Amino acid sequence: MNQPLIKVDTVTKHFVRKTDVAERIAIRAGLAEEPKIVHALDEVSLEIAKGEVVGLVGESGCGKSTLGRVVAGMLPVTAGSVARDGQDIATLKGRAAKDNRLATQIIFQDPMSSLNPRKKVGEIIGEAPRLHGIVPRGEVPALVEKLMGQVGLDPAMVNRYPHQFSGGQRQRIGIARALAVNPDFLVCDESIAALDVSIQAQVINLLVQLKQDLGLTLLFISHDLSVVRYISDRVVIMYLGRVVESAPTHQIFDRPRHPYTQALLEEIPRIDRRGHRFNTVKGEIPSPVNPPKGCHFHPRCPFAMDICRQERPPLVTAETGHTVACHLNGGAGHLPATTQQQTQQGVSS
Amino acid sequence: MSETLLEVRNLKTWFETPKGTVKAVDGVDLTLNRGEILGLVGESGSGKSITGFSLLGLVDPPGKVVEGSILFKGEDLRAASVRRLQALRGDRIAMIFQDPMMTLNPVLRIGTQMIETVRAHAKVSKDEARAMARDALGMVGIPRPEERIDAYPHEFSGGMRQRVAIAIALLHKPDLIIADEPTTALDVTIQSQILSEVQKLTREMGMGLIWISHDLGVVAELAQNVAVMYAGRIVERGTVDQVLDTPMHPYTRGLIDSLPMENDRGQPLKQIPGNAPPPLGRPKGCPFRPRCGFATDACLSEPSETGDLSRGWRCFHPLAQEVSA
Ligand SMILES: Nc1ncnc2c1ncn2[C@@H]1O[C@H](COP(=O)(O)OP(=O)(O)OP(=O)(O)O)[C@@H](O)[C@H]1O
Ligand SMILES: Nc1ncnc2c1ncn2[C@@H]1O[C@H](COP(=O)(O)OP(=O)(O)O)[C@@H](O)[C@H]1O
Ligand code: SF4
Ligand code: SF4
Ligand SMILES: [Mg+2]
Ligand SMILES: [Mg+2]
Repeated sequence: MNQPLIKVDTVTKHFVRKTDVAERIAIRAGLAEEPKIVHALDEVSLEIAKGEVVGLVGESGCGKSTLGRVVAGMLPVTAGSVARDGQDIATLKGRAAKDNRLATQIIFQDPMSSLNPRKKVGEIIGEAPRLHGIVPRGEVPALVEKLMGQVGLDPAMVNRYPHQFSGGQRQRIGIARALAVNPDFLVCDESIAALDVSIQAQVINLLVQLKQDLGLTLLFISHDLSVVRYISDRVVIMYLGRVVESAPTHQIFDRPRHPYTQALLEEIPRIDRRGHRFNTVKGEIPSPVNPPKGCHFHPRCPFAMDICRQERPPLVTAETGHTVACHLNGGAGHLPATTQQQTQQGVSS
Repeated sequence: MSETLLEVRNLKTWFETPKGTVKAVDGVDLTLNRGEILGLVGESGSGKSITGFSLLGLVDPPGKVVEGSILFKGEDLRAASVRRLQALRGDRIAMIFQDPMMTLNPVLRIGTQMIETVRAHAKVSKDEARAMARDALGMVGIPRPEERIDAYPHEFSGGMRQRVAIAIALLHKPDLIIADEPTTALDVTIQSQILSEVQKLTREMGMGLIWISHDLGVVAELAQNVAVMYAGRIVERGTVDQVLDTPMHPYTRGLIDSLPMENDRGQPLKQIPGNAPPPLGRPKGCPFRPRCGFATDACLSEPSETGDLSRGWRCFHPLAQEVSA
């Protein structure tokens, strides 16, 4: 295989834990203890090929945004390394470091909180190209106009403020701002989650179009699996700070191997399923402050064995392009009964 | 057998603002029977939450229910006194919010809060109230309820807090629950656990449930009936099968078509053009007109509702001929 655009190698990231409102009040009232260390990423490895769209899926707090920010070089790692084009980004200096930062852009979930409310749209989009001398100063307005057209915003609205736009339009502003510095890699962190259903399709279509036109590579973080299936070439599933499975999109949807992935796929609400009797994975998602020993999924896993409570399952290749971290079947993970039957039928016929 | 629980007719809830009148809810009709789950869907700003708040008499000024009737088990809630509404809320009618901390007090043990709620509506001893609270926690699937009852809200995960909020809503076995996007902020596996409990409880206790959501998938799996809101009105209603399989309103159809399905890969998603109209800038006639591919001059006047309260739509050019069973 060619050298990947991005190579994340055994990256660990720890934080001192953030507290939520309920906890902060409780701490002040003396009811709770002060925070501890969060294991946001626990030896995560991942490669992203040039031009690839990788979907990153997992439950809240499992480390998706942290991985996105680490990959973008916005967050230093606690251990491990991130390489772009074979170069460890932590070792880059000066001009090379700056180029690297610009070449990866993040598009966030809430466009409003990432747009300066006191600046006009034209200033927001034109700011970085002006600052970094992407084009000569005099050409910035023309660039802004081009970018607005590219993301489907009427350039006549260049003098408006963010609050004068709808949610979908604000997300377009965020995308135009990211594109303004000519990145080749976009991290889309829940970029459509805050949008209404009727607007989501517009923004997804825009991202796919831009990807094709500009030859972009995408890391698409989302909890919406139907969107991920639509847009991604490959899907990576995380659980509590670890990658538990990664495979080409059709393969992970047709033949998921990790019991967590299987549960997740089963529970996605679908409009073609009626009066569903929800039959669910039991238990809470454990806290990343105090992750369980061994396989992080073992307290909720219907197949957990003794070894699962003791040893972390390594991420191994179960079939071409398909990696999984599960002790079942000698590390190949769990295949649902139907698939096994189909395989057997296939063999016997 | 299907006893009517709630009848809402021509409900209008308006906000007088300096810039004009925001018609958040503008003529909504609803009927709900015992044991029924009704999904109320629509995009943000379409009036779903305000509809829910209006039913409970919880609309804050400058908002006001300006027209219509709300009959709950035959009782006219618009005519009810503030005291009567307070007595009904938390007892016969309960609401579950998107953020459970709207219900929970962070500095009180959940047991304390639940016992207070029980005793606000029923003359029982502390011990009896505690037993009721413990049972309600068990019912929503909180493990080891007799221990967890003494915990504070911060000791629970988001999903568990939402279960506690649901348990509080269930304390008095209400006849009607209005749930406003209660699982939107939760993870899929946790959402699924809560949906499973809610489904079981409506079945077993014969409650009526209005489930407000923007997620058509959740509604398809959970509800029997669905009402689609757009710009303050219900634009289509029917059973889940009717609305999702043979949508008559172009907006409903657009919503369904825009969802990425298994075979859509490699081709652009069908999108609804444009944006929902701002509350003060709704177009004349059918509010969906600027985004609608079927609009004609007829749509410059307002479509009234065709059909009845079990199956109906507001559109001059409905899409399909209903397949009659
Ligand atoms: N700056 C920070 N300081 C302390 N803890 C943090 C910080 N950023 C993230 N965390 C914690 O690290 C863990 C992983 O967080 P992250 O934001 O990567 O999750 P996520 O998968 O993106 O979740 P979501 O789906 O909710 O966005 C969480 O427990 C989070 O609370
Ligand atoms: N306090 C308020 N003042 C003015 N307008 C309001 C107020 N609260 C809600 N609205 C408006 O009422 C409409 C419906 O709101 P809401 O019921 O919250 O929508 P939904 O729940 O469907 O997202 C929106 O246009 C909203 O802006
Ligand atoms: S390693 Fe064990 S606990 Fe973990 S997913 Fe596999 S079977 Fe379940
Ligand atoms: S009434 Fe006209 S504009 Fe409105 S949805 Fe029907 S066809 Fe479209
Ligand atoms: Mg995140
Ligand atoms: Mg709402």
